[in-house]
Amino acid sequence: MHDPYKALYLHIPFCVKRCFYCDFDSSASSQDNPAIDEYIDEMCMEIRRNAKEGELAQIETIYIGGGTPSFIGSSRLTKLLYTISVSVRLENVREFTMEANPESINESLIKDIWALGVNRLSIGVQSFDDAVLKILGRAHSSSDAKSAFACAKQRFENVSIDLMCGIPGQSIASLEDSLNTAVSLGVKHVSMYPLTIEPHTLLNNMVLAGEFPEPDEDEQALHMECAERILTQSGFSRYEVANYAVPGYESIHNIAYWTGVPYLGLGRSATTMTQNDERRGRIRDGIVLDDLSKCQMLAEDIMLGMRLAKGVSEKSIQDASAYLPKLPQTLDELCEDGLAIHEEGRYRPTHKGWLCGNELYGRIYDLAP
Amino acid sequence: MNIDREHIRNFSIIAHIDHGKSTISDRILELTGTVAARDMKEQLLDSMDIERERGITIKSQAVRVDYTADDGETYCFNLIDTPGHVDFTYEVSRSLAACEGAVLVVDSTQGVEAQTVANAMLAMNANLEVIPLINKIDLPASDPERTREDIEEALALPADDAVLASGKTGEGIHELLEAIVYAIPAPEGNEAGPLKALIFDSYFDPYRGVVALIRIVDGSIHKGERIRMLATGTIALVEEVGTRRPNEVASSELGVGEVGYLVTGLKDVSQVKVGDTITSADAQNVEPLPGYREVKPMVFTGLFPIDGDQYEPLKEALEKLSLNDPALVWEPEKSHALGFGFRVGFLGLLHMEVIKERLEREFNLDLLATAPSVEYHIFKRNGTMVSVHSPQEMPDPAEIDHIEEPYLKAKILVPPDYVGAVMDLTIARRGSFVGMNYLSPTTVEMLWDIPLSELIMDYFDRLKSSTKGYASLDYEFNEYRYADLVKLDILLSGKPVDALSFIVHKDKAYERGNQLAIKLKEIIPRQLFEVPIQAAIGNRVLARTTVKAKRKDVLAKCYGGDISRKRKLLEKQREGKKRMKAIGNVEVPQEAFMALLKVDG
Repeated sequence: MHDPYKALYLHIPFCVKRCFYCDFDSSASSQDNPAIDEYIDEMCMEIRRNAKEGELAQIETIYIGGGTPSFIGSSRLTKLLYTISVSVRLENVREFTMEANPESINESLIKDIWALGVNRLSIGVQSFDDAVLKILGRAHSSSDAKSAFACAKQRFENVSIDLMCGIPGQSIASLEDSLNTAVSLGVKHVSMYPLTIEPHTLLNNMVLAGEFPEPDEDEQALHMECAERILTQSGFSRYEVANYAVPGYESIHNIAYWTGVPYLGLGRSATTMTQNDERRGRIRDGIVLDDLSKCQMLAEDIMLGMRLAKGVSEKSIQDASAYLPKLPQTLDELCEDGLAIHEEGRYRPTHKGWLCGNELYGRIYDLAP
Repeated sequence: MNIDREHIRNFSIIAHIDHGKSTISDRILELTGTVAARDMKEQLLDSMDIERERGITIKSQAVRVDYTADDGETYCFNLIDTPGHVDFTYEVSRSLAACEGAVLVVDSTQGVEAQTVANAMLAMNANLEVIPLINKIDLPASDPERTREDIEEALALPADDAVLASGKTGEGIHELLEAIVYAIPAPEGNEAGPLKALIFDSYFDPYRGVVALIRIVDGSIHKGERIRMLATGTIALVEEVGTRRPNEVASSELGVGEVGYLVTGLKDVSQVKVGDTITSADAQNVEPLPGYREVKPMVFTGLFPIDGDQYEPLKEALEKLSLNDPALVWEPEKSHALGFGFRVGFLGLLHMEVIKERLEREFNLDLLATAPSVEYHIFKRNGTMVSVHSPQEMPDPAEIDHIEEPYLKAKILVPPDYVGAVMDLTIARRGSFVGMNYLSPTTVEMLWDIPLSELIMDYFDRLKSSTKGYASLDYEFNEYRYADLVKLDILLSGKPVDALSFIVHKDKAYERGNQLAIKLKEIIPRQLFEVPIQAAIGNRVLARTTVKAKRKDVLAKCYGGDISRKRKLLEKQREGKKRMKAIGNVEVPQEAFMALLKVDG
């Protein structure tokens, strides 16, 4: 027996082209590739099967990610969204996000997906600087992004954009400009990621060949600080390491990942988290990634909680201490080292704790490795 | 049955590394039917894993082989395999002393190399008959004629009768066996006694006590006989004697000229020392065989378990290893930075590396080694002298009158083109040039006077790299001599780290301190806070570097599947930290403690 899934993730592994830094499961494909149709048909079957087994009865958030979901076009999306609408009780769904890239956003697509239940759009903008977009190998320009946003605004109130920082060749001025553009356009949510060079990516090959510099961590720290300054001055709050929102627009689906809420992932390389009171597992493509004991589960919850601005409550620390007796001591040490702060009945990450998160999370992880 | 002395041939095989010594040995065993082909594994004589992996021989071995020659007579060959490294020169000289001849293997694709010369010299100095063997003639790059000229020029050794062979195909091995019969003399010796036997190796066997490899020089040794070791005065009962083929075959006695093993039942290997002479327990006024020497450790290092729980297991492991290795000495040591461990003495750097590797591999220990040190003699103002093996033991400078350190006589063989490179390197290491001899147009012998402390600072590796691997080094202890030395401390975050201190010549202190501070900055990873590194003599800071504080270290993306990935990353981070030593609140990688060796002299 497992606790009911509250969040549903659907993975669409297709893109118009592969970006230089991307290590997600996705393949560049032509839009009329019949493999995409087969994939969507299969996914619809999976959704129906899960619905019939009752797995979708308590879904509260849905997220269609990729790849580039907008790339597969209106008719396939319509089919998928229709299947969802007859499988999940949409009146209980508080947030329904779809990812889209500027080059594949158009008016009819926006109208269709909105009509079929999507209520939040996450646009992969990355930068409003064409030079930076070129470095990243993106398929769109800065002006594409602006018009895509304008198009999205015709239906969507809740629009998020992804931005990247700490890219070699990207100046602070360029980053500031992108952030100010985002603010002036009126986005409600920004995800801000420093560039990481992942194995098996084009950028990694270039780094190994000496054709591209390794991102500088000090520079990245400056960029992350710059983003925090501009966005918080513009009415956003940083509710997670990499996420900023106008109050009330925090992503409920993403918060589910960090708060121990079970989620069902469908599609290729989508991860499912399933748990009951004693155990937590993560499965992807039929492979068990994690099989956690109660202690590990509790440590993970505290660790993930410390990604969030609100941190974790004294009460949950107290409850977890029954299984992790060293937890209070570890948290006190983290406070001494300036990675966490204890105030108003909660333990929260500090600015340093956010930037040096691996140290912070590592010490909590070590309580139940 | 006693073997007729005239039919015994005792010999070693010597070579430059990788010239095919072990393969030739293997072929001899195979061709004489000593080991069936199906039981052959590469480098049969090298029994320790480390020996086989590194292709070096650490302990000596002796194997008896029966060979029926073309003249129809059956001969008894004793093949004695010797260690091949300068740390073990004394052991090599004892093994060679047990032989009448040596087969000098030279790779015909490479020609004569430095160690070929050094080993040939050792054999010639021991008055051995040397048979040159030109190896690897099956390879396309082989040039036997040039190799022959090379041997004659560089070694002044007639090579007309050199054996042409291939260890790989077995070609020429028969000719080699015939050459051994005809060229190497049969052993001489007085059959009537009194008994004199040379110990050329010994080891501890948990079931039988100390076992020695011996060569009977005069007389004979019998099972059940009481014997005496001359240098140590130890009396023992001969529980068993016999030969190795290579499996042990017991016999009732070993006669003049024979090589074999001896089981004593003694519990302490230091009672049966390499180079010592065995006689009958009741024999009077027997002259010891020449060449015996006490082996003394020359190089000392601190060995600390990474995990404090491994202190006792480390102690037990050292006890076990020293059962078999009288040159290994150790005493407990305490470091503020590293906790409890041992200060261990070794013959040289290779010996140190081998022991450390065996401790880690055979006993499953995770060890941290500090930079090696030598034995300093500290003469105090109050007139007393103390021997110091580690910088931590240095008395207060105010108490010190003067310090003496060990000097070596070093001999370097090198092709003439590299004389300049050796000069530069060795003078930078406080070596004084003593002289130079042209052994041949291709080989120069350079003689140096150099402090041992400089030699153990990665000198050998640098010598090799600055001479494209051609130089060979041989050294022996010369004397203790006055030196202007100071103790240099390294401070991390303002606190001295005892395990990083070292003793250095005053003139070199600034340079070394500065280089080490720079090197440590590279080695120590960025931490949550800034870590200043200082090199200081007493209160005087000579150099300072800083490891900047870590600004950012976080995986920003952490959604559904990323969480598992993040767990993997944290797992790796945890493993990485295990290989670090926390000193105060600074995480220091193990290699930092050896960083001193990596700075340029």
